Amino acid sequence: MEEFWQQVVTGIATGSVYGLLALAVVLIYRSTGVLNFAQGEMAMLTTFVAWSVLQWGEYWVMFPLVLIIAAGMGAFIERVIIRPVEGASVLNIVIVTLGLFAILNNVATWRWGGIPKGFPAPPEVEVTGIRFMGEGALDIGPTVVSYHDLTILIFAVGIMLALYLFFQFTPLGLAMRATAQNPVASRLMGIRVGRMLTMGWALSAAVGAVAGLLIAPLILLQPPMMIGVLLFAFAAAVLGGLDSPVGAVVGGLIIGITENLVGTYTPAEWLGPDMKLTVTLLIIVVVLLIRPTGIFGRRTMRRV
Amino acid sequence: MLKVRDLVAAYGPIVALRGVSLEVPEGRIVAVLGANGAGKSTTLRAITGLLRAKSGTVELEGRRIDHLSVEEIVSLGMSHIPEGRQLFSELTVLENLRLGAYSRSSGADGGRHLAQHEDLSLLGRFQHHLFHAATGGIRDLARGISQYRQRRQDFETALGRVFDYFPILSERKSQVAGTLSGGEQQMLAIGRGLMANPRLLLLDEPSMGLAPLVTREIFEIIQAINQSQGVTILVVEQNANLALEIAHYGYVLETGRIALADTSDNLRKSEAVQRSYLGQ
Repeated sequence: MEEFWQQVVTGIATGSVYGLLALAVVLIYRSTGVLNFAQGEMAMLTTFVAWSVLQWGEYWVMFPLVLIIAAGMGAFIERVIIRPVEGASVLNIVIVTLGLFAILNNVATWRWGGIPKGFPAPPEVEVTGIRFMGEGALDIGPTVVSYHDLTILIFAVGIMLALYLFFQFTPLGLAMRATAQNPVASRLMGIRVGRMLTMGWALSAAVGAVAGLLIAPLILLQPPMMIGVLLFAFAAAVLGGLDSPVGAVVGGLIIGITENLVGTYTPAEWLGPDMKLTVTLLIIVVVLLIRPTGIFGRRTMRRV
Repeated sequence: MLKVRDLVAAYGPIVALRGVSLEVPEGRIVAVLGANGAGKSTTLRAITGLLRAKSGTVELEGRRIDHLSVEEIVSLGMSHIPEGRQLFSELTVLENLRLGAYSRSSGADGGRHLAQHEDLSLLGRFQHHLFHAATGGIRDLARGISQYRQRRQDFETALGRVFDYFPILSERKSQVAGTLSGGEQQMLAIGRGLMANPRLLLLDEPSMGLAPLVTREIFEIIQAINQSQGVTILVVEQNANLALEIAHYGYVLETGRIALADTSDNLRKSEAVQRSYLGQ
């Protein structure tokens, strides 16, 4: 039983990272209708930047700095690369994000090289005698949780909560939701729609950056590191319903847990760890056959 | 208050307005009548900047606005309640109303100072922008904090007024807008437009898709808004009867041109109007 809980907890942790990246994907998708294939590479690039910053700075100095850099990069990409093709067919925009994928990947290889680097987990933090983060593991009764998994969880929950509060209770968050729903009406309300889209990309890039910073200690820092993660994140977003932030997170958790359980419990003779990706994706296909809009997705209604 | 001169506008190669001129005096209701496709909605869209006019001028209180963006025009005190209402159908009634007040919050104030400096040269404008970029952030923040209470109070006052006109909206406050009935949706659209405290209200086909009784109710409220608050109103309408009942002046639009312009009393008596639009 202990092994089972162990796998579930690990699944929740990696699932949270998928969920975060899926959230980044959904933030852009629902405001612009663009499926950003470069989301993973943006996160990878900011993680490399973080690695460079760590050469001379503290982790907790680097963290906010990298978030700001990531947001700036997201805003820049929207303004300079996406804006000109705005209004073009979806296929055009998809090709642009695929191009961006290749560019960012090459930039990282050119600047930092292709050799995998170790990336530190967030260092130990103690608040009133209770230890968060850092090395080692924590015994929580039925099982042991590594401090890093716990860190991932804390960050994921914190970010989701912050985003929820932002979108639900601030005028800016409300304006961004309005823009996602009806750009024309938003302009008539005096909302600068272009600015909202830029901010959406900035926010999304920052959320993705956190996903990169949290997953890097587990899978080593290297240019292709986010490709697998992005695949799972896309799957999570689709599973949860592409326009639902809650769905993205839940989808991420489901995929993370399934992936771990399949890897551990299916017999190696016919499935086993090598097939965990296949089985996970198979489950998604089945869910989508039953609910084509994803678990939390809204059926889009069009008035004719 | 609003002066439109020789407005020409097109959707791609299709010319929709062929030189429309009209005037909306302060405190009055002006109706624009016409058949489907005559260019009624296009006229409103060109006034608010949703559609860039090819030529012609639009003046709001003596100031040219035809080169401003929609966001800037809206923040000058003009509310456009578009065709088909364009509510945020997945947001609640209250959230829709909040968004209606958005142009009065600090974020959209940019339009005000920009519009006042439209006469500057290119370089002058650039310096002006630089100055505002540098000082704007701090100033906005300071002003935002000091005016927070005031803004909140303004919002509550505007909200109270909207709920006075449309009590049903207050009951449906937390309901998602898409689930309202057609009449309630139109009320919400008007209420949302009023939240900006506009001096000029542009209304596009308020009767669209509504039962005759509901339409009548809505027109009565439109009249009340004009009389009690002094809001100037430009209403585009197919239902000529109702529109002329509440309007002071009327224009008849035919294939992108003004065919007739007169006081609504005279228009109602005019044979041409009776035959084509009043169905008598």
